Amino acid sequence: MKTTSIRSALLFAVAFSATALASQAASQSFDFKDPKGVNNVQFKLDAPLESITGTATGISGNVSFDATNPGAISGRIVLDTASLTVGNPVMGDHLKSANWLDVAKYPAITFEAASIANVRTQGAQVLADVSGKLTVKGVTKDVTVPVTFTYLADKLGARLGDEKVKGDLLVLRATFAINRNEYDIQPGQYADKVSDTINLSLSIAGAAPRS
Amino acid sequence: MKPTTSLLSFGLRGAAITALVLTLGTWIATGSHVGWTQTSIVQLQHDEITGIDFPVHKDAFIAGVEVLAAGLVAASAFAVLSFLPRLRRVEAARF
Repeated sequence: MKTTSIRSALLFAVAFSATALASQAASQSFDFKDPKGVNNVQFKLDAPLESITGTATGISGNVSFDATNPGAISGRIVLDTASLTVGNPVMGDHLKSANWLDVAKYPAITFEAASIANVRTQGAQVLADVSGKLTVKGVTKDVTVPVTFTYLADKLGARLGDEKVKGDLLVLRATFAINRNEYDIQPGQYADKVSDTINLSLSIAGAAPRS
Repeated sequence: MKPTTSLLSFGLRGAAITALVLTLGTWIATGSHVGWTQTSIVQLQHDEITGIDFPVHKDAFIAGVEVLAAGLVAASAFAVLSFLPRLRRVEAARF
């Protein structure tokens, strides 16, 4: 009787471990460092004369994603603040200066995903609200961002122009806004010259090679 | 003395007109941009595989309102200066 119980317990443990391993194996790690320079963040602030718009392409980070269980996502996206670009060079220098983003002291803007909610499928896309910690200029705040995930199976080779390369792509798109006062970016200052709200639009693709 | 003063006034007025024409010409030719001067433009391109629209920066000069303002101020200054010799002559004749 005792031997049967031990055997059952062992079988259960093996079965549980196998299930856990299978679950882990289905989750892929996507690297968002993009050699093609396509990944980008666009930002926009309203201003009296004209909106201040710019882009940033220095994106890196990793996201764990399971196409069969999108609710289990986790990961971190990093934006190199030195890659921020605007059309007017004087404005660009101001933006990167110590008074505004202080790029020399705070070289990265990061978003660390903590949880995901409201997951729903729309065609080939998965829509969800991703909550996590956004760090800008050394200030970390909890934010919830609506994100669209597009999983592109076996598209890595086509993207790299080398069909021998096997792997998948994950495209993330998000549009949201933050308040610069909350991130110590000239809080309460220059309200007549530039809006408090910074509109952000993120379009990035990560790659998960397969051997 | 009189021809020299006239030549100076004539030259200053010519400079005023030149500054005005150059400024307006540059501003209109670069798109009559009612914003700050830009030294690069962004063109969006489309990545076929991922479907991402991504920005490509290209060097370009687009004159903004500060260029227009500076040109108009310079043209006005030249125009005002061109009338100073005449004002001096009028003042001298009065006393």
